[in-house]
Amino acid sequence: MKKTIKPYIMLLPAMTILLGIFVAGLSMAFLQSLGYFPTIGLQEFTLNYYKEVLTDHGFLTSLRFSLWIAFVSSSVSVVLGVLLAYSIVKSKHKKGLEEIVYKLPVIVPHVVATLLVYNILGQSGIIARMAYALGFISQQSEFPALLFDKNGFGIILAYVWKGTPFIAMVVYTVLSNMNNRLSEVALNLGATNKQVFWHVLIPLTMPSIFSSFIIIFAFSFGAYEVPFLIGPTAPRALPVQAYAEYMNADLRHRPYTMTINMVLTFISFLCIWIYHKTFKLLNKYNG
Amino acid sequence: MIKEKKTIMRKIILFLLIAGLILNLVGCTQEAVVAGENEDLLETNWESILEEAEGTEVNFYGWGGSQMTNDWLDNFLALRLKEEYNITLNRVPMDIDQVLNKLLGENQMNVTGTADVIWINGENFSTARTNDLLYGPFTHKLPNFNQYIDVESVEVKYDFGFPVEGYEAPYGKAQFVLVYDEARVEQVPKGHEELMELVKNNAGKFTYPAPPDFTGSAFIRNIIYDIVGYEQFITMKADKEVIAKAIQPAMDYLNELKPYLWRNGETYPSTIAQLHNMYADHEVFMTMNYNSNEAAARIQTGEFPRTTNTFVFENGTIGNTHFLAIPDNAPNKAGALAVIDFILSVEAQASKYNPDNWGDLPVLDNARLSDSERAIFDEIQIGKGALPQHILLDHRVPEMPANFVPIIEEIWMENIL
Amino acid sequence: MGEYKMNKRNRTLSGFIMHIMIFLLILPLLVLVVWSFSKSWPWPNIFPQEFGLRGILHVLDPSSRALKSLLLSIRLSLVVTIVTLILSIPAAKTLGVYSFKGKQFIKMLVLAPIIVPPVAVGMGIHLTFIRLGLANRFIGVVLVHLIPCLPYGIRILTDVFEIIGESMEQQARVLGANSIQTFTNITLPLIAPGLISAGSLVFIVSFSQYFLTFLIGGGRIITFPMMMFPYIQSGDRMMASAYSMVFILATLVVLIMMEKAIKSYYSTKNYFYL
Repeated sequence: MKKTIKPYIMLLPAMTILLGIFVAGLSMAFLQSLGYFPTIGLQEFTLNYYKEVLTDHGFLTSLRFSLWIAFVSSSVSVVLGVLLAYSIVKSKHKKGLEEIVYKLPVIVPHVVATLLVYNILGQSGIIARMAYALGFISQQSEFPALLFDKNGFGIILAYVWKGTPFIAMVVYTVLSNMNNRLSEVALNLGATNKQVFWHVLIPLTMPSIFSSFIIIFAFSFGAYEVPFLIGPTAPRALPVQAYAEYMNADLRHRPYTMTINMVLTFISFLCIWIYHKTFKLLNKYNG
Repeated sequence: MIKEKKTIMRKIILFLLIAGLILNLVGCTQEAVVAGENEDLLETNWESILEEAEGTEVNFYGWGGSQMTNDWLDNFLALRLKEEYNITLNRVPMDIDQVLNKLLGENQMNVTGTADVIWINGENFSTARTNDLLYGPFTHKLPNFNQYIDVESVEVKYDFGFPVEGYEAPYGKAQFVLVYDEARVEQVPKGHEELMELVKNNAGKFTYPAPPDFTGSAFIRNIIYDIVGYEQFITMKADKEVIAKAIQPAMDYLNELKPYLWRNGETYPSTIAQLHNMYADHEVFMTMNYNSNEAAARIQTGEFPRTTNTFVFENGTIGNTHFLAIPDNAPNKAGALAVIDFILSVEAQASKYNPDNWGDLPVLDNARLSDSERAIFDEIQIGKGALPQHILLDHRVPEMPANFVPIIEEIWMENIL
Repeated sequence: MGEYKMNKRNRTLSGFIMHIMIFLLILPLLVLVVWSFSKSWPWPNIFPQEFGLRGILHVLDPSSRALKSLLLSIRLSLVVTIVTLILSIPAAKTLGVYSFKGKQFIKMLVLAPIIVPPVAVGMGIHLTFIRLGLANRFIGVVLVHLIPCLPYGIRILTDVFEIIGESMEQQARVLGANSIQTFTNITLPLIAPGLISAGSLVFIVSFSQYFLTFLIGGGRIITFPMMMFPYIQSGDRMMASAYSMVFILATLVVLIMMEKAIKSYYSTKNYFYL
């Protein structure tokens, strides 16, 4: 009896906060998306807001744009992050400084990352200036417009710059906590470095890689600051759309905001679920 | 022995950690804001209002993106208020749409808020008024308002065409100006025709921020005024078709201009900040501003080249007034009244007008100033790159009604973008 | 012998990749440092024409209250970090070691707050916070920061617990240690590296919060990001860079001190398990 209750008791403090604030807040948002917002006199439940939002062409374009940004930036970050973590572990160099330095982007807030991307990649950024100095371009407008562009290149880059070290940090923590002996045994048994990487290190770090991927995917899908500051006028990323609706002084717009937020939430959960399934399959295959 | 010491140390650290945590969490809960009873504040006399304001804290909510503005509030205003009334001024950097959002939320719950003074104008003021978020009418209570402000002036009575009715007090004046680099623009255009000629001869060197950027939107209204005049808009109905018809010549003009803009007009800078940076980086040779002295300030900070100067069209440019208001749920209304009254003093307005401090145009009526007071303003050296007050005032046309602005922006997006 | 050479070559290659990547990650920060001291840096100069101290002096000037808000930010985020870790350790251990009904569901629920846009949760809960008298207060901001922070704390520690398992603790119990002894002498030292990374990340997440702070803090709790954000938005590159630089330096100092503190706290224990 004691054994079965124990896990729940240990979870209780954290769950109280999560349920009390997070689930409560989300429920309010959900009610408002259904048109129930008594403080401004909306009392009737309706699906009209969902109908309106989901059939809106602009909404669908925004959704596609946000998914694109999130998917590309997180995938690139994962590949680069694992590579970075692995290369740090493997590198023979004395590691003191590097171990701290690569983490720097993790502590930089996303808004500052947009400032950095602007300083580097903008048409007056440092790369454009170098291209000019080297004679590749003869004026600013010849430098490709990487910010405010329809493919979200600048946004993706800001996220990759933030995401890569984050992934690397998590993977590196696990790798250095991991018993080194396992790979040594494998090496002694005649496995190549490549084999150790793919069959020992990757499977062992997979849970962390997997959860970090979800974290950065969800973040870049749901955050408004970066696309707000360096995104194109159209298409607008979904969170930017939600934020604009939210800031609308007409409170009757609030249900639209919450509807968009609910769609964002729903899709994020869906993605987690899909990857969860994939991950399970992967585990089976490896096992 | 050593090990024991370590254990004790660990216990002490742990204790301090927990104690600090508890103190932090408990101690700060006592910072609750106490709501004063302000019910009949407007019935009492000014002396008792000042008495109530003495020694209190006033939270000033406003946009915080300009170093000059922030420094004036922190260095001049906060200091002087402390000396004069022992009032502590807390500047809270928050965009007005965020402030309104907060007030709307608090209004729903019917609770006392945290903002005492808010910096506001135009559409936001009309939003705040229509949602009953503001306290007032209060301006008739302020001695400096009664003494120095021309209450009959259009710019005090109306804010973007919306009647003020004593719910906000003027804070400063802004006027739209165009900013150019003398080193790269030889002849300053006197109006829209010359601007077209200049831009055609220098393709890719000019652009304006896309609405809903505030300054870009103002540029479009200026072009409209320059082409079709401003008089007709004062009485016009806020109807999209009517307005579209009236401004068609201006839309044709902007369409003709479009291929000669930066990046062939295929895209526009999305904020004025971006245009300023493009100007600072020599990407374009002109920028624009709804604050006539900001270019001078930016020369001083080194952001703009020293060859920067400003100009206005011969037919004038749009000017507006920015205001201060008190939220209906402000915790310290007496303090707010004292602060706003002080901002309307000759001393504060003159200090604010000085480009070394901020460079914001004063709102006091020249005719109501004594000779010595007028001399204070005359003595202020406006910086390089700024136009003197009288030139601006001679070339100043009123803003359109606030509800025209989104309509015009919509028409622009349909026709030009 | 040949294998050894291969290994060596691999290591040099790894070092090369590592240095290139680190350089690319750091370059933008170097540009940021230069920008925060650049009075004038027009196109197409690769180096600024004129340097100045306007930005950094403004941040350091007591009247701008930037430093005051920095200290408040640090205090706030430290409190959030400690509370998060205290809540996370039991939850993470449960999720990492035990199997029980509903585990998968709770794992998803724990992750959820970093997926759902803070706008939705923040605005939904804002009215409740006002009702409960938690809005516009330090404690309210701490509580709302826990939402984006808890998932990171719990996730990282769960991963750590999954790897270390429970065998070490069980051994201690078999040898007669009580549960408190087991926790302080076995569990904590074992998860210390995880605590450092979880604590660091939680601190960072809390330290860079902007939206939730201004929403729930209502302008009564003015953190450093709230002073910094308007400058980034308004495009004053020097000021924005100076604020950003101070922000990053402050984070670094706190993190290094935190790491040092946790490490020194457990240094006496470590040799047992080497």
